[in-house]
Amino acid sequence: MTAAAQREARRTEALDSFRVRGMPHRRFEHWRYSDLRAVLDAGQVAQAGTAKWQIDKLPDGVELFDLATPEAPDWVMQKLGNVGNRRTMVEASLAFAEGGVALRVPAGRKIAEPIKLQIAGQGNLRWLIVLEKGASARIFEPHTADAGILRNVGVEISMAEGSELQHVRCAPFMPRSFAVELIAVEAAKDAKYRAHFANFGSRLSRTELHIVLGGEGAEAHLSGVTVLGHDGHSDVTTHIEHAAAKTSSTQLFKHVAGGKSRAVYQGKITVREGAVGSDSRQTARALLMSPRAEADLKPELIIFADDVKCAHGATVGDLDAESLFYLRSRGLPEKEARQLLINAFLGEAVAAIGDDALIETIWHDIEAALPRAMESVK
Amino acid sequence: MSAGSDTKDQVAALGEKYKYGFVTDIETDRAPKGLNTDIVRFISAKKTEPEWMLDWRLAAFRRWTEMREPNWARLRYAKIDYQDSYYYAAPKSTEKYESLDEVDPKLLETYAKLGIPISEQKQLAGVAVDAVFDSVSVATTFKERLNEAGVIFCPISEAIRDYPDLVRKYLGSVVPVTDNFFATLNSAVFSDGTFVYVPKGVRCPMELSTYFRINASQTGQFERTLIVADEGSYVSYLEGCTAPMRDENQLHAAVVELVALEGAEIKYSTVQNWYPGDENGKGGIYNFVTKRGDCRGARSKISWTQVETGSAITWKYPSCILRGDDTVGEFYSIAITNNFQQADTGTKMIHLGKNTRSRIISKGISAGHAQNTYRGLVSVHPKAINARNYTQCDSLLIGGKCGAHTVPYIESRNPTARLEHEATTSKIAEDQLFYCLQRGMTQEEAVALIVNGFCKEVLQQLPMEFAVEAQKLVGISLEGSVG
Repeated sequence: MTAAAQREARRTEALDSFRVRGMPHRRFEHWRYSDLRAVLDAGQVAQAGTAKWQIDKLPDGVELFDLATPEAPDWVMQKLGNVGNRRTMVEASLAFAEGGVALRVPAGRKIAEPIKLQIAGQGNLRWLIVLEKGASARIFEPHTADAGILRNVGVEISMAEGSELQHVRCAPFMPRSFAVELIAVEAAKDAKYRAHFANFGSRLSRTELHIVLGGEGAEAHLSGVTVLGHDGHSDVTTHIEHAAAKTSSTQLFKHVAGGKSRAVYQGKITVREGAVGSDSRQTARALLMSPRAEADLKPELIIFADDVKCAHGATVGDLDAESLFYLRSRGLPEKEARQLLINAFLGEAVAAIGDDALIETIWHDIEAALPRAMESVK
Repeated sequence: MSAGSDTKDQVAALGEKYKYGFVTDIETDRAPKGLNTDIVRFISAKKTEPEWMLDWRLAAFRRWTEMREPNWARLRYAKIDYQDSYYYAAPKSTEKYESLDEVDPKLLETYAKLGIPISEQKQLAGVAVDAVFDSVSVATTFKERLNEAGVIFCPISEAIRDYPDLVRKYLGSVVPVTDNFFATLNSAVFSDGTFVYVPKGVRCPMELSTYFRINASQTGQFERTLIVADEGSYVSYLEGCTAPMRDENQLHAAVVELVALEGAEIKYSTVQNWYPGDENGKGGIYNFVTKRGDCRGARSKISWTQVETGSAITWKYPSCILRGDDTVGEFYSIAITNNFQQADTGTKMIHLGKNTRSRIISKGISAGHAQNTYRGLVSVHPKAINARNYTQCDSLLIGGKCGAHTVPYIESRNPTARLEHEATTSKIAEDQLFYCLQRGMTQEEAVALIVNGFCKEVLQQLPMEFAVEAQKLVGISLEGSVG
């Protein structure tokens, strides 16, 4: 079978699987806070078309393949549609996207310059990155605000032994769009995946990660900020599977919700039998700024091994009244004092990005979103 | 069996007679297998219940036939055939032993470890109790004191007859008939249970316990408990027993409803140690319980404390609806699973009123091949100004074949609310174990000591006499799990 025929066969499979399972809805336990079926039907997903991707400058040493070309090379064929489990919206993006991009970083290559992968327009899209043994790269994924009715992106990240990837995703405020991005990561021995997700909300926004730490010593470090106002919705759902010994993961997510917005975080950690010496930490904190805003947190631990360290913490509340009083007693107007405290609250998660230029970009977006988030609606 | 077909005939005849009213004197002690409206009528008739109660049961039954068994809990068990059980078995005069010598020595050994007095041991094992030690006389003195205080404490079937207005007002007001599959089943077929009413301003003079209720042994597999604490009253209720209960019934589906009116406080403690099945996971009780308390009046308080060590399957979420302003809900839990036991337990704290506070302390211990899940919800509604919650869920794993899971849901819709949740998972540290062994303790003593330390915060919440036995129970439940 030619590569093109194989791809067509896999697409048919994806289409069937999406048809059978349909749109995710409230009764799917992990979609309980984001009822996609209530607002969008399968036909609209099928007819949304294909979103656009753009890489202005590809760093030397990175191989690029346009998924719109049917005859794909082996490295694409091995991974495309095969990383992670086949969740219904992932299958939809595979079935309906007419294009997308695949990137490869060859063994041992360390790419210092970030690859800027911009996602624009309405529709389904796929992107894939393969990091070979010992390779390292950074990928910055900004989204433009023109998502139309739906943008559904399926991402596959395959990391071979000892590879490293830093992934920063930034999604703007899109009050009229439904935005879904499902990311699957497979990390082999000693691979390190670091990611940061900045979300500014849309009519329904779902960012879902499924990470399998499949090799000994593999690591995943996630952080994220969500700043919401108006009717914004943002759902960040993560599932990290510790499938091998001595794997570790950390998560730090901060949410600020004002107006009539809804911030959701669901984090599931599974430690498989035999994944001894695993270490997993997870923190989720939400600030509610308005009586009409809502925060839902669901940190979940599923543990099948005894020699592990797992902990999670979650808090929901308002700004600390004492800190606020302290700043006001120093002569700061209330609004400024609040802003200062919110910045401090978010700062920890933004700092985790570790790259000055990217940190500045994210702060820029946060500052644009804060006035919305600080609006209180009775 | 002829007795079985006899019963069938009688029930069939009963169905006919129902057109004309009740027939009360049925001399059978067991309804035939299966569940249908006739069985519901049979149970109701057996209890000589008024018509409203029968209608209530029938409505529940009709609803139940349309419901599906929930499957969201992290529990695996063979499908239950609801038509293959008996739904009513009158208190059989169980075989009485002449003396303790005839009782299974294994059972006696456990009693001894728990430190249960000889007279109590006899009663638990079903030995005919000597008149001097007769707990009935103890119970009678208790009854007098309760009467003086005006506290009603009786089987719910008696309450339906004697206090129909009270029962009608509160029954099903916390756990609606249609609440969930198991609660609805219970509403249709509950055989007996307990009713407690504490009048205004009364502090119940003693800890109430089903153990001392005369016909405690009659309560069947579908227990129904209703406790109403009127304004400003206080009651502490103990359920269950640390002693292992030999029970033939596979399926238990109890419902417990608590109502706390203005300024009232209810403290509900449970120690559950039903048959967990053998080392290979064969047999054991399936325990599907719906427990819910309603802090209906301002400044009321409901506190749940549970020590769950028995049952093959535990499905239980004692919850608090914090409806009144300034109300308090508490949940303290120890769940121990060993061998092939599975427990999916936790709580719900629903904050509706202003300044409501809740506290959740859950300790899960998993050993052998067991699976232990904490599943909880803390929900703050938009009007619950200044609501406060603190949750702590700790899991302890003993051995590499078991599982410990934590599934908390935290939902806030009020910016003035403060919710905090923490969870940790750990194992018994080698250095702690080594230290104890080096001081001359056996492995099992050391594990019991460490686990008791782990559970201390919850054990402290139990009434004193219970706490002592519960501590020993923790050790016994984990026997054979290490080494």
